[in-house]
Order: sequence, then structure tokens, then C-alpha cells
Amino acid sequence: MIIIAIILGCILGAILGMNAPMISYTYSSYLAIAVVAALDSVFGGIASVINKKFDIKIFISGFFGNAILAILLKMLGEKLNVDIYLAAIVVFVGRMFVNLGIIRRYYVEKWSKKFSKKDNKEG
Amino acid sequence: MNKTKISIVLGLMCVALTFGICLQIRTVENSNVKVAQTYEENNLRAEVLKYKEKYDNIYQNITQEEKKLEEERKKATQNNSVLEEQEAQINNANKLIGLAEVKGPGVIVTLQDSKKSSDKVLNLNDIIVHDGDVLSVINELKNAGAEAISINDQRIVSTTAISCDGNVISINKEKVGSPFVIKAIGLPESLAALDRPGGYLEYLKKYDIGVSLEKSNDITIPKYSGKLEIKYGHTVESQE
Repeated sequence: MIIIAIILGCILGAILGMNAPMISYTYSSYLAIAVVAALDSVFGGIASVINKKFDIKIFISGFFGNAILAILLKMLGEKLNVDIYLAAIVVFVGRMFVNLGIIRRYYVEKWSKKFSKKDNKEG
Repeated sequence: MNKTKISIVLGLMCVALTFGICLQIRTVENSNVKVAQTYEENNLRAEVLKYKEKYDNIYQNITQEEKKLEEERKKATQNNSVLEEQEAQINNANKLIGLAEVKGPGVIVTLQDSKKSSDKVLNLNDIIVHDGDVLSVINELKNAGAEAISINDQRIVSTTAISCDGNVISINKEKVGSPFVIKAIGLPESLAALDRPGGYLEYLKKYDIGVSLEKSNDITIPKYSGKLEIKYGHTVESQE
């Protein structure tokens, strides 16, 4: 059910994105940083499912909140002439790698357990 | 019940995410931006693109305002034969000096750098289109009675300079590169005589430069986008 919803959502979003009117280049950097923030919260959500701490409210608020916060920070940085968005990207991508690490460890351990059980049965 | 809620929310979020990603990819592809090696280069490119966008927006505004002005003029000159005549004169003069879009029959000449590989020729200059070539073609077109000419949408007006600018040509102080699409309005049959034996186009063909000439009944030549003004010339009072 959830997987079907995710796949449907992805397809629908891709179709919409392909046909939507183009945004101007000035604002594309805002969209880029919002996309990075959203991707970060998606990986965070998967990691929290693995840790069994998943809360849908925190997930949704993080998804939209992070994106909006990143855009606001970029605007503030432009006003102050500081590239704050670089810090945001470093944090988001860094967290993405941490979460990816958690996910990878979980699955590697799972599979290695499976294989070791098989070996035990055969042996 | 809870599960359906979660799946709906996740689906919506996926829509938002993929929508954003696709839109961003399309925007970046459209503006021809590649992530450059250096940070400064990126910034410079972004600045240029932003200014280009601003310029385009302002130019659109101007075109709209000009349309409004035109309408106002039409309204004001209605039912007054003298004013109407003058209005027609102004329109005619604008077409002549290049301040109005012109439509009509004519020819489209395309000049393109030779496709020969550069290491197969002795002199690199032989395989590219030069400012002189463009000038000669323009001259022949004018000789054949062209009323309005444009090169890659740059209108040729009385102040137009065509000069060499590195590997591109500068026309109206704007950089224009190969292929050069030269549009000319006039009697198509006489303009098409450009490719006669011994003409300049034949001379260019000898150097393997891509030349094509086609007649068309519907050519639109844009108006001059720069400023035309006379600073030093004064009107001469007629002495009687």
C-alpha cells in the first residue's frame, strides 16, 4: 500500500514536473536547495523507520520545514552577502551520508545474518 | 485507516519531491548551465543569466507599452485626415529606418562555417565566414533591391557596423556567430539572383562554406532593438 502510493506519487510528480511551466533561472537556486533539504528528510525518515523511531508528524514537518527554512536562509544570505546556502548544503548532504550509513549497516547485518543461518543449517 | 493516511501523505510528498527535481533539471538544462570547475565562473555565469532575464523582462514591458502607444495614437488620429496622413507617413518612415517590424516576400540566405576538419586545410581563415563575407552579401542584397535586411535577427539600419570580433562577428555591437541567417525583404526573383554564376555566393561555395538561398513569401524582420538618435547633426533651415 505504502510502496504503491510512493511509486504513484513519484510518477505523478515526474509527469507534472515535465509539463509545468519553467521557472526563471533566478529562482532555480532556491528550488535546488529546497530539493536537497527534502531529500535529506526522506533519508532521515527511512533511517528512523529502521531505528523504530518513525513519527509521521515529525517526518512531514521536517520535510516541508527544512525546505522552507533552507530557502529562507538562502534569502537571508543573499541580503547579508554571505553564502549561507553552502552551510545548509554541507549539513544536509552530511546528514544524508550519515543516514545512508545507518541504512546500509542495517541491511548488511540483516543479510549477513541470513547467510550465516543458511551456513549453519547446511553445516 | 492509519495506514491509508500515511500512504496518502507519503504519496503527496513524493509528488512534491519528484516535481521539484524534474522542474529543476529542466530549468538547468534550458539555461545551458554546467557546473564549472571554479566557483567564480559559476557565480559569473549566474550573474549574466540573471541580467539577461531582467533585460528580457524589461524588453517585453517596452514592447507592450509601445503597443499601447500605437493604439492611443490611432485613437487620437481617428476622423482627422491630416493627422491620419501624418501617422501613415510616420509608420512608413519607421519601416524605412528600421524602427518597425516588417513582413513580406523575400529570400533567406544562410552562411555557415565549412564543415571541413580544421587540420585538413592550410589556412584556417579559408573555412570560416568573415565579416567581409557578410558585408559583401548584404551589399549584393541591397544592390538587388532589398528593402529590409536582418542577420540573425539583428536589423540592418543606417548606423549598423559589421566588424570582426574574434571568432564571431559583431553586428549592431552585438556578437553574432555562425550560422548567419540573413533575411531580406524585396522582390524574391531579383534577390534570388544572388547565386548567379560569378556572384559572391559562388565565390564562398568555392571555399566549401555552407551556403543556402531560399525564396519565401512570408518573412518577418524584427525592428532595431537599439537606440537611434542624432546628437551632432542639426536640421538645416531652408533659405528662401
